[in-house]
Amino acid sequence: MAQENDVIGLHFLELWRFNSKAAAAAATATTSTSSSSKEDAEFEEEPTELDTFNSSGMFSVVLSDKLSVQYPTVNLHGHDVGVVQANKPAPLKRLVYYFEIFVKNAGAKGQIAIGFTASGFKMRRQPGWEANSYGYHGDDGLLYRGHGKGETFGPTYTTGDTVGCGINYSAQEFFFTKNGKVVGTVAKDVKGPLFPTVAVHSQNEEVTVNFGKDPFVFDLKAFEAEERRKQQMTIDKISISQNASYEIIRSYLQYYGYEETLKQFDMASRSTVPPIALGQENGSSDTEITYAMNHRKTLRQLIRSGEIDDAFDKLRMWYPQIVQDNKSAMCFLLHCQKFIELVRIGKLEEAVVFGRTEFEKFYRLTEVDDLVKDCAALLAYEQPLKSSVGYLLEDSQREIVADAVNSMILSTNPNIADARVCLHSCLERLLRQLTACFLEKRSLNGDQGEAFYLGRLL
Amino acid sequence: MSCCFLDLFAVQLLLECLIKGSSKKIITKEEWEKKLNDVKIRKEDMNKLVMNFLVTEGYVDAAEKFRKESGTEPDIDLATITDRMAVKKAVQCGNVEDAIEKVNDLNPEILDTNPQLFFHLQQQRLIELIRNGKVAEALEFAQEELAPRGEENDILQQSFLEELERTVSLLAFEDVNNCPVAELLDISQRLKTASEVNAAILTSQSHEKDPKLPSLLKMLIWAQNQLDEKAAYPRINDISTATLEDPGV
Repeated sequence: MAQENDVIGLHFLELWRFNSKAAAAAATATTSTSSSSKEDAEFEEEPTELDTFNSSGMFSVVLSDKLSVQYPTVNLHGHDVGVVQANKPAPLKRLVYYFEIFVKNAGAKGQIAIGFTASGFKMRRQPGWEANSYGYHGDDGLLYRGHGKGETFGPTYTTGDTVGCGINYSAQEFFFTKNGKVVGTVAKDVKGPLFPTVAVHSQNEEVTVNFGKDPFVFDLKAFEAEERRKQQMTIDKISISQNASYEIIRSYLQYYGYEETLKQFDMASRSTVPPIALGQENGSSDTEITYAMNHRKTLRQLIRSGEIDDAFDKLRMWYPQIVQDNKSAMCFLLHCQKFIELVRIGKLEEAVVFGRTEFEKFYRLTEVDDLVKDCAALLAYEQPLKSSVGYLLEDSQREIVADAVNSMILSTNPNIADARVCLHSCLERLLRQLTACFLEKRSLNGDQGEAFYLGRLL
Repeated sequence: MSCCFLDLFAVQLLLECLIKGSSKKIITKEEWEKKLNDVKIRKEDMNKLVMNFLVTEGYVDAAEKFRKESGTEPDIDLATITDRMAVKKAVQCGNVEDAIEKVNDLNPEILDTNPQLFFHLQQQRLIELIRNGKVAEALEFAQEELAPRGEENDILQQSFLEELERTVSLLAFEDVNNCPVAELLDISQRLKTASEVNAAILTSQSHEKDPKLPSLLKMLIWAQNQLDEKAAYPRINDISTATLEDPGV
C-alpha cells in the first residue's frame, strides 16, 4: 500500500519539479548556450553558399560571390565534370527543403546538372551518375539516379531558365522545377546528409545558385501549403465514432471530479437532437470512475481556495490511509501547500513556525531537498510573487496538490488493482500517445520532417 | 519470471517480422510506457481543450460550471453561446422564420454575406411548410421568396435553382415519405441546416467552427497508422477507454 501511494505522490512531485526554480534555471541555461531548449533544437544550419574547398578543382571556378560557378576550359572527357556542392547539407527538420539555379550561360553544350549528392561524392562526376546521388540534367532533360543511364523525366533547360530542386520530407521524395513549375518527382531512397549540388561540363557554362537569399521563382510557400492541405485531408477523412468526444470529455470530468460540470453536461447531452447515447457500452468503468466523486469535488474546492487545514481534516476523516504516513509524498505536498498559503496571506511568522516543525522531517530526504528550498525561499522576498519562486503562489501549484489528492482517493477504490491507472485521465493518455507517435515516427525517420508540438494545436 | 515471459514475447514478434520480411522496429510495452512518461501534458492545456469543446458545442451551463470548478477561462463570451444555441434549436425544431430573425438580431452581416446559408435557411422554411401540409403557402413562398434568387446567371444561383426544383417536387408526391426526395423531410436535413448556421455564427465571432478534440482524435488515429509502417508498438485501439494494446505485427 505504501508503495502504491508513493507511485502517485512521486508522480505529482515530479510535476511540481517540472515548474520549479531549478527547472526554470535549467531551461534558461540551455537557451543561452543554444543547445536543447525547444526552439533552438529546431534550429539547423542550412546551405548558404558553395563549397570552395571541396569542388572539382580546375574544372570549375566558383566566383567570389560563392554563388556562381563557371566552367573555365574545354572539356576533354567525361571525367572532367565541374561539380560543386553547397557548404552545408540540406536541413532535415522541416516539411520541404528547396534551392534554385539560374542558367546564366549554357555554354558550348549545356551539360548543366542540378541535384543532391551524399557527402562522399566524387567531385569529377555528374550528380546522378554515382550511387547516392540524384541529378536533373539540362542537355537531355533526363533524371539520373545512381548510374550513367538516365530516365525520361522533364524538359531540357538552357540559358535563361531557372531550375530548382527540393526534398519533400513528408512524401520522402525529390522534386524538380523549371521556371517555377514542378516537372517531376522521384522517390528518395537514400539516408544521411544530402548536399545541394550543381555541375557544369562544357566551355563557358555558368550558373548562379540561390539558396533562398533571394526570392525563389517557384512558389515554395504555396507548395508547402498544398502539402499540408493534402495531409489534413487524409486526416479529415478518418472517421471516428460520433460519441467518442463526448465520452472522453465526460470521463475527463469524472476523473478530475468536476461534478457540477458533469451534471450540466449530462443534462444538456440528454436533450440534444439527436440524443447522445452515453456510457451504455461501458457502464462498469463508469461506476469505477464516479468513485468518491463528491468527496473529490469537495477536496478540490478546499485546496483550490487555499483551505489546506480543512482539506486535511476531511482527508483524515474520509481517507485516513492517505494521510497516515506523515512522511509520504502526499503529506509533503499538503504541508508545503499549507506553508505557501500562510505566505500568501502574509502570516510570515506563522509560516516560519510551521515550516520549522514540518519541514524538518522532510529536509533529510534528499529527493525533496530542492522543493523544500523553493518553499523556504518564499520568505526571502518582500514580493514573493515576482520572485523566482513566485510560481508557488500561482493557481497551477494548488492544482497539482488538488490533482494529487484526487488521484490518491481514486486509488483507494478496492476495484483498482494498479495505482498507476489513477495517474492520468483518458484524455491525457490519448494526448500522450499522439505526441509519442509523432516523436517516434520522426526519430525512426532520421529526424526528418517538421517537429510536432502539441501546444501549437491546442 | 515475468521478465523471461516478456523476452519470449519479443522473440516471437521478431520471428514474425523476419518471416514476413519486414524491417519493423519492435517497441515493447515497457519501452513505450517510458516514452509516454517523457511526454508532459499540461493540465491547463487539457482544461482549455475541454472548455473549447463545451463552448463550441454550445454547452453553456456546463461551460459556466467548468469555469468555476477548473478556473479555466472560456475563449468566447458565454452569453453569445445562449443566443447561438437558441438559433440552432429553432432550426432543429423547424422554426426557421424565428431562427432567421434571431440570426439577424445577433449580426445582420451573417446572412448578408453568406447567400448559400441564407438560401439553405429559406429552403428549410419551404420544407417545413410542405411538411405541415401548407401547400398554397409553400407555393407562394417558393415563387415569391425563393425563385427570384435563382434567375441570375451564375453557378451558385444555378445550384440554388436546382435545389429549389428538387424541394418543390415534394409537392408532386402523394406519399412524400417514399418519394425520391424524401430525405429532405428527414430530421438530418434540419440538423444539417442547423449546424451550418451554428458554424456561420461561430465564424462571425472569429471562433473556429469545429471543436479541437475530434480533429485531435483523428490525428491520433492517423499518427498511429503512420507509425505502423515503421514499428510494432502498443497502440490505442479503443479511443474511449484509451487502453494500450500489446504490440502486434
